[in-house]
Amino acid sequence: MMFGWKGTLIRVNLATGAISKEPLNEKLAHDYIGARGLGTKYYMDECDPQVDPLGPDNKLIFMTGPLTGTAAASAGRYEVVAKAPLTGTIGAANSGGWFGPEIKYAGYDGIIFEGVSKKPVYLYIRDDVVELRDASDLWGQSPFETTDILTARYGENYKVACIGVAGEKGSLMGCIMNDKHRAAGRGGLGAVMGSKKLKAVCVRGTGAVAVAHPEEFMAAAKNARDILIADPVGGTGLAAYGTEVLVNIINESGALPYKNWRSAFDPNADNYGGEALAANFLVKNKACFGCTIACGRVTHVTNSKYESFGEGPEYEAGWAFGAATGVDNLAAICKASFLCNELGLDPISMGSTIACAMELFDIGAIDADIVGFELKFGDPDAIVDLTELTGKVEGFGADLAMGSYRLAEKYGHPELSMSVKKQEMPAYDGRAIQGMGLEYATSNRGGCHVRGYMTSPEILGVPVKTDPLVTEGKGELLKLFQDLTALIDSSGLCLFTTFGCGLPEIAAQYRHAVGTDETDEEILLKGERVWNLEKVFNIAAGVEKDTLPPRLLREELTEGPAAGKVCELDVMLEDYYAQRGWDSEGAPTEEKLESLNV
Amino acid sequence: MLVKYFAYYRNDTGRKEERIPAPETVGALLRLLVRRYGKSMGEKLLSPDGLSLGSDAIVLVNGRNIAHLDMLNTPLIETDTVSIFPIVAGG
Repeated sequence: MMFGWKGTLIRVNLATGAISKEPLNEKLAHDYIGARGLGTKYYMDECDPQVDPLGPDNKLIFMTGPLTGTAAASAGRYEVVAKAPLTGTIGAANSGGWFGPEIKYAGYDGIIFEGVSKKPVYLYIRDDVVELRDASDLWGQSPFETTDILTARYGENYKVACIGVAGEKGSLMGCIMNDKHRAAGRGGLGAVMGSKKLKAVCVRGTGAVAVAHPEEFMAAAKNARDILIADPVGGTGLAAYGTEVLVNIINESGALPYKNWRSAFDPNADNYGGEALAANFLVKNKACFGCTIACGRVTHVTNSKYESFGEGPEYEAGWAFGAATGVDNLAAICKASFLCNELGLDPISMGSTIACAMELFDIGAIDADIVGFELKFGDPDAIVDLTELTGKVEGFGADLAMGSYRLAEKYGHPELSMSVKKQEMPAYDGRAIQGMGLEYATSNRGGCHVRGYMTSPEILGVPVKTDPLVTEGKGELLKLFQDLTALIDSSGLCLFTTFGCGLPEIAAQYRHAVGTDETDEEILLKGERVWNLEKVFNIAAGVEKDTLPPRLLREELTEGPAAGKVCELDVMLEDYYAQRGWDSEGAPTEEKLESLNV
Repeated sequence: MLVKYFAYYRNDTGRKEERIPAPETVGALLRLLVRRYGKSMGEKLLSPDGLSLGSDAIVLVNGRNIAHLDMLNTPLIETDTVSIFPIVAGG
């Protein structure tokens, strides 16, 4: 009997309709943990890295971790893994809510989808019953409508993950939504699901997750939760203001990318930060499964032409539709963010791609005939209207739906795409936070902030304060953060637990859940193994080298504490590769892979 | 000089920002604010002995964290902007 893990995977061939159950490979689970790591290992063992991401041979894997659905602190996460169509990298998108634990309670660690269905289908799971069912009536419906239809049909206790119209129509920023408002957001995995004609997974489980050492596990989980409750970030700040609280401190630090990263300070940022959201539109907080932080926002915009209701916006969405586009109308920002959830779009890529289009318009590379109207920085109507067009892949939205890199390349200015490996970078300027620049460049899924969150030490001083303007030591620190993040993502915990908990608390929960006597360092090594595995995939897939958009490497910031700075990437990369034990081109050496047993 | 308040420091001060004649140092400024706005703010801004920064405060001078300047001894002049935050995070 396995503890933590359920020990069973579901395999679904969408082309033939065949469904089978198979034992989880215990050796792989031991080495790659679960969720992000184990999903990637299964994917790599079964798929050619050169596969067409939207073709029949790409597989789509939903995978939980051994802590998912347990009493561990904030353990509601799961991962979706496939080759990502936006980037061509390994795609691994992590989400919270309640869907992941329900897979475990039904008796499974994950689901592997193969092939392409001839007609729209969804996967129905009720404990031992696993069936593909016709989704003709769901195709074209929003994630909200899809979830409402399925829970009305089967019961409120069913949890649903599904795609919106964006994923159905192949938008490369299409995401997978679960519990209506949570998203496996990045890389375009919604388009992979859409390419398979798989609309949804609807699951209900009545089982439980057994842990190896119940008393020790509950003590470790309580300790982690107590730390989070007492922590100023997890216990107070995020609960009061949500993730949007970050807008002002990043802006005051001169690191909030403004108008497609032309500068890094927005004079109007306070109009749409967490304080403004709480004062104007916040209805209540909302927590994911087993979480004491409750960073989610339930938001109602009233007395505005942008009247709307939903969850969010999160910090990244607030920035993408705010500073990145020069818009400071919070009601419009909320509306655009809600539309992303309704259409199944990644708001980071969406807002950033609109910002790129605004700069293309500003320099005359596109005009009103192409866009359909005068596209100016700061126009609140534009972010709402273009989000809707993009989700439906209509008009100019069809250009935007392919992401900023393909948009900017089409109109002759690829350098204006603020992306890494074709995925849009999030809300921290790597010229003002040097370690974030290194993090973006080396992220295994393209521009991303949650593959080793360097803002934590560089701006917030958690767990130690480092200077955001210096490069020394950033390679070593980033490697540690990346490995730890890979461990957390793979275990089923939320990354936000790291604002209070460190490796000892995370490792203790893992150790007593699965029943191992491995040391903290041996458990962290699994995170390093996952990171190296992802890199091996990207090299085999022919992904471009680690770099940043030329704007970050050559255009100095002109104001704020980082005035005169570019991102000093080359010097940090050299140090980083050495810390990783990789060669000077950024490839893991044979010795390194052998030592990690990759 | 300009002093800007964020998150729940605005509850203590009842305002987003204000102009204050520049004290000599950041430490002098924070002690002035504690006298002006009371115990609740003081408990967050300064350590119990008043000699070091509180555990729930981030102070920037012209966008630079005082951790990379001279902490509470960081000198101030009239053209400076000081931004005061609790330890918040997101992502």
